[in-house]
Amino acid sequence: MTSRDEHEMRVGFAGDAKKITVDVPTGDAPPWDLDTRLTSVGGRTRRIDAVAKVTGRARYAYDVDLPGMLHAVVARSPHAAGRLASLDLSAVAALPGVAAVIPLKEPGNRVRFVGDPIAAIAAQRLDQALDALAAVRAEYTTEAAVTDFRDHPDAPELVRGEVVGPWPGRGGDEVAAALAAAAHTAEGTWICEVQTHSCLESHGLVAWFKDDGTLEVWASTQATFGVRGGLASALELPEEKVRVHAEFVGGGFGSKFGADAEGVAAARLSRLVKCPVKLMLSRFEDHTCAGNRPSAIIRIRAGIDARGIITAWDYDAWGGPGYTGRGGGTRHNPTYFTRAKTRNSHRDLDSATDAGRAMRAPGWPQGNFAMEGMVERLAELAGMDGLAFRLLNDADPIRQAEWRLGAERFGWEQRRNPKPGTPRDGDPAHLLRGAGLASAFWGQMGGTGNQVTCRIHQDGTVEARNGAQDIGTGMKTVMAVLTAEELGIAPERIRVTMGDTNDPVGPASGGSTTTPSLAPTVRHAAWLAKAELCERVAAALRVEPGSVRCEGGRVIAGDRALGFDEACRLIGPTPVEATGRRFRNYEGYQDSVAGCQFAAVVVDARTGVVRVEKMLAVQDCGLVIDTLLAENQVLGAMIQGMSYALHEQRIVDRATGRMLNGDFLNYKISGPADLPDMEAIMFPVANGKNNVGAAGLGEPPAIAAPAAIANAVGNAIGIPLRHLPITLDKVLAALAEARRNR
Amino acid sequence: MNPFELRNPDSVAAASGAAGPARVFKAAGIDLLDRLKERIDDPDALVNLLPLGAELGGIGRSDDGTIRLGALVTLQQIADSDALAAPGLRALREACGEAATPQVRSRATLGGNLLQRNRCWYFRSAAFQCAHDGKGDRCLAWHGENRYHAIFGVVDCLRVHPSNAAPPLMVLGAEVEVQRGEARRRQPIAALFPDSPAAATAEHTLGADDVLIAVHLPAAAARGGSAYRESREKQSFDWATTAAAVHLGVEGGRITSASICLGAVAPNPWPVDDAQSLVGEAPSRELFEQLARRVFRRATPTEQNRYKVEVGQAILVDALLAAAGL
Ligand SMILES: Cc1cc2nc3c(=O)[nH]c(=O)nc-3n(C[C@H](O)[C@H](O)[C@H](O)COP(=O)(O)OP(=O)(O)OC[C@H]3O[C@@H](n4cnc5c(N)ncnc54)[C@H](O)[C@@H]3O)c2cc1C
Repeated sequence: MTSRDEHEMRVGFAGDAKKITVDVPTGDAPPWDLDTRLTSVGGRTRRIDAVAKVTGRARYAYDVDLPGMLHAVVARSPHAAGRLASLDLSAVAALPGVAAVIPLKEPGNRVRFVGDPIAAIAAQRLDQALDALAAVRAEYTTEAAVTDFRDHPDAPELVRGEVVGPWPGRGGDEVAAALAAAAHTAEGTWICEVQTHSCLESHGLVAWFKDDGTLEVWASTQATFGVRGGLASALELPEEKVRVHAEFVGGGFGSKFGADAEGVAAARLSRLVKCPVKLMLSRFEDHTCAGNRPSAIIRIRAGIDARGIITAWDYDAWGGPGYTGRGGGTRHNPTYFTRAKTRNSHRDLDSATDAGRAMRAPGWPQGNFAMEGMVERLAELAGMDGLAFRLLNDADPIRQAEWRLGAERFGWEQRRNPKPGTPRDGDPAHLLRGAGLASAFWGQMGGTGNQVTCRIHQDGTVEARNGAQDIGTGMKTVMAVLTAEELGIAPERIRVTMGDTNDPVGPASGGSTTTPSLAPTVRHAAWLAKAELCERVAAALRVEPGSVRCEGGRVIAGDRALGFDEACRLIGPTPVEATGRRFRNYEGYQDSVAGCQFAAVVVDARTGVVRVEKMLAVQDCGLVIDTLLAENQVLGAMIQGMSYALHEQRIVDRATGRMLNGDFLNYKISGPADLPDMEAIMFPVANGKNNVGAAGLGEPPAIAAPAAIANAVGNAIGIPLRHLPITLDKVLAALAEARRNR
Repeated sequence: MNPFELRNPDSVAAASGAAGPARVFKAAGIDLLDRLKERIDDPDALVNLLPLGAELGGIGRSDDGTIRLGALVTLQQIADSDALAAPGLRALREACGEAATPQVRSRATLGGNLLQRNRCWYFRSAAFQCAHDGKGDRCLAWHGENRYHAIFGVVDCLRVHPSNAAPPLMVLGAEVEVQRGEARRRQPIAALFPDSPAAATAEHTLGADDVLIAVHLPAAAARGGSAYRESREKQSFDWATTAAAVHLGVEGGRITSASICLGAVAPNPWPVDDAQSLVGEAPSRELFEQLARRVFRRATPTEQNRYKVEVGQAILVDALLAAAGL
């Protein structure tokens, strides 16, 4: 039995604070709560690697250049479906510069999408490797392919954008009864196209298989330990013989958890030639072979009672996750439906295209877009404003406060178009303005199993180390801020090392768990190190250990106050070293985080072009460890969401299954001139889940923007737009239809 | 990539002499290098025109009011040029100032912009063989994805002409000056753009050894009003989905001359003959809307690019109003 401590904590937020008692295994740092006064935490610390990044000194996998390094490329199937009939690589090996070539498929193997890897080639120069692709002799037996999930035999029939056909038979009795009893009901269909991750740094790695049988790797990844495990098992090596670096990562968004077929190929090539091999995907490959956010068709029928309370919710979805036929599920915020009978059904429809992967809040933007669109319709039926309707139905106490704060700061009353489809006073007839809003929900609070080392040296240097990666979210800075807080010194003083599997184990960056998993671990390590520092200082000064504390850049021992460096000189040549660990989550205040977003748009009814004028988010992430970093996450997610709402879509040639806009010229992503006035308001909550109170923030703010923008467009033009992205052609078609119906 | 030779000629005549089949001129190379990287072009030699700045650069205004734009002038230089300050020339400055990105505008040359190849995603991918690239037997966009493709002038290829600079130069009555060997010739800019059947595979009418030297604007171009408007999906660098350049002469409340050219809607810059019907009329929104409706009634959109009909009308009316100063 581990012994346990009880801590009294004040949790929640100003509008809903409560005292709870948490029961914590002995040995954890005493948890921070609403009453804790913090110095570095919650401030606006400049990213500790900002200068390295903006000056180009930060070294990404893409930048790694080792002596004798070869460049590898992958030969890929040009066919969407069929089998590899024969593969002859003999001509490749003879070409100038080519050092090695390996097959990645055997004759008889299936090819499942355009881009399925067939062989890998390593050459002295990249252009030689690319030229060698033409010498790969591959024959295929091809098959007719479904390249769009809408063409799948089990796809629902769509008539003018609405699913027609029966609802699932099973499990719907209660919902059916609730629908029958409802005062108003509504039904509708929502459609989302495929979004690609579009990481600025493409996927790939440099692998160096050395003479001593070890493998060293520089990868663009969001899971250093996952890549280590993947490569170790693919190459049948013990894990300790594989070392993975990811010091800087140019984005992952859920697509970079594994070594992938390409990474394994690079490692195998390196083993053959015993020199470093670099394999980074081209932009086209990154768009077409490295995952995406699956498409979706969602239909909902729902009912409200006479007061406007949602009483029935029937949600039926189809996902288009590509050739695997798995992972296309959609999700939505459940907090409006606590008084409703609900049913949720889903089918994935495979197609001969690249497989979907997790993408920043997988399934959530799709599901929330549909859900919030239906909620908008229900509000209309209830004769209520969208905000009032949500306040009536939303069971989340945090979001209740966020809705009010956000509406006031955004100017909901003024921005909402009271007469949708008509211009506001003073606007020309063709400019239609409107406002929309949507909720966000996230439920992950981090997990155990990680370690962080904190080391304090005699010269005053403080190190914090963890082997996981900082995928660009600012995790290194989070480690610095927390360590600094505990030691009472400035964050700039902390030397943080991340992204090396020789350091203590850390999580994969998925599910927005990196911060909630690591932050309490970082703090625990610093807290333990501080205790030992104080002990050593006490011994050196011959004072009571209990009388030494770290505060305001000083170490205070009884009536003496030493500078931090001065105190460190007393610890002797052996550094203070502590390994922090992560304890299980406490019962805490609430198991989820809440957020909401508001958007105001102007639609040019003559050209169909939608411009977003204003976006505002209110977002909870537990304790805000650094305000700059937190706002940065939220703003970035809003931009990505806006881009998904208005521009991004994979366009595939139906006949061949080949992506047509697999570049950054035709795959459209919102750019600086498209951006509205944006505001991110952090809503701190003492969640009482761990010694820091941290929750994740990567994904929650990525959920609401598309729904909020779609609802704003609906409010502007008076017709709901239920198919993302909301491109000009769809807006014009909707307006034309409305004119016909008038 | 096949190795190629990079030649740096010391005169236009030498450049022309260095030309030939499988050799291609390179200005800033923005379009050309993309084509090489995509492996849709495979020349043996690039004949670099950039060393010829003395002959091919510069914006000059003669005493008689004519203007010479060297082929190597960049889009940004045009957008910023004081020599092009007259309201009659505004369309050209606007078009060049809106094109592409600041980086591209600062490098891209006028000659290269006029002679760049089209952006059809089938044509631009070595994975597809279409009739226009000479390797296939039909237009793939026609039966495939064509939301950015042509709604006018389609014979056998759905591509659109991508140049921002071409429509305003058309309405300004520009002439292009071309040198082959030692011989120079001048021709109306419209003659740069091929008709069927040449248009089946070519996008301009210059021979392999023709160097575009300069574009000349007549003095009359500076008079009157002009405007360029385009619609695009994004504000941060995007290609126009539809564009319109307009030049109008207005005297005593009546339109005395009118010239319109649409961009991004047809395989060539698309001059609107109907513009003549404006002459003698008093400029007004109604008049312009009527004309725009007439013009776009003749469009032949596909299911996917039908939106261009509506967008094009709006853009054309905006350009006409701006050119008329309304
Ligand atoms: C991101 C991006 C966005 C863009 N957006 C736009 C846009 O919105 N609007 C637009 O109009 N364009 C746009 N472009 C295209 C760009 O403007 C052209 O690629 C550029 O103008 C080409 O000029 P260049 O000097 O680089 O030509 P090059 O690439 O050097 O040459 C292009 C072609 O013209 C020929 N050529 C060039 N000069 C001569 C000459 N003097 N005589 C004979 N032949 C010659 C070459 O042989 C070659 O075939 C965009 C390009 C990019 C990369």
